[in-house]
Amino acid sequence: MIYINAFILCGLICALGQLLLDNTNLTPGHLNAILVVIGAFLSFLGLYEVMLDWAGAGASVPITNFGHLLFKGAYEGFLSDGFTGLLKGILSTSSGGLSVAIIMAFLVAIFSKPKH
Amino acid sequence: MKLKEYEKLVDKHSKKENKLLNFFISFLFGGIIGVLGELFVVFLEKKFYLPLSEAYMYLMIFLVVFGSILTGTGYFDKVVSFAKAGLIVPTTGFAHTMTSCAMDHAEEGPVKGIGSNIFKMTGCVILYGLVSAFFLALLKGVIK
Repeated sequence: MIYINAFILCGLICALGQLLLDNTNLTPGHLNAILVVIGAFLSFLGLYEVMLDWAGAGASVPITNFGHLLFKGAYEGFLSDGFTGLLKGILSTSSGGLSVAIIMAFLVAIFSKPKH
Repeated sequence: MKLKEYEKLVDKHSKKENKLLNFFISFLFGGIIGVLGELFVVFLEKKFYLPLSEAYMYLMIFLVVFGSILTGTGYFDKVVSFAKAGLIVPTTGFAHTMTSCAMDHAEEGPVKGIGSNIFKMTGCVILYGLVSAFFLALLKGVIK
């Protein structure tokens, strides 16, 4: 059952993040950076595709997926087009999420007043 | 007052957080978001006939928009105070960090405020993600 797998995997990654937050003095921003590097490394080892097959969106929801997308774009570019492909492909697969994040952050910052 | 006495006082009055409880709460909320994401992907695949990779992209975009709007309306911090890392580790946390950095400095103007501060915290994510992905992909490509 893929829904149970998604629950377990996504929950485990979040719980690991909570453990890191509780036992170190990292801020959420730094936690996200660590998770992205972990995601890229898991993708390097070829484990991330297995996780995506096993848990579906459970592996796609956490921020580790961003690292996986960066690695996947770079690696697929390298396979098809050498070094040029790597440079062209590194942001290609994650472009959608990153662009929307920047645009939404800008729009929200313009149209909302921070509450102090 | 000496520093040690002060630290004791702070220790006495600061709230003790139950780490085990936090662990299970973030497990629960993270899991729920994972299941909702899976439902969203299945919905996109069945209704709009999108390929899986594009469905995942729209899932990421949906999470980003959701996180940004929650931050803008001020509900994100309230939800995080009981959902813990269950909402920080999913992509919503990334959007929250970026949006809140931009919002905090919005009153200093669109260029000096938002422009120079929007990547303040998420710059870390993009920098190390990009650098590690670049070198790992180069390494794997050269080895093969």
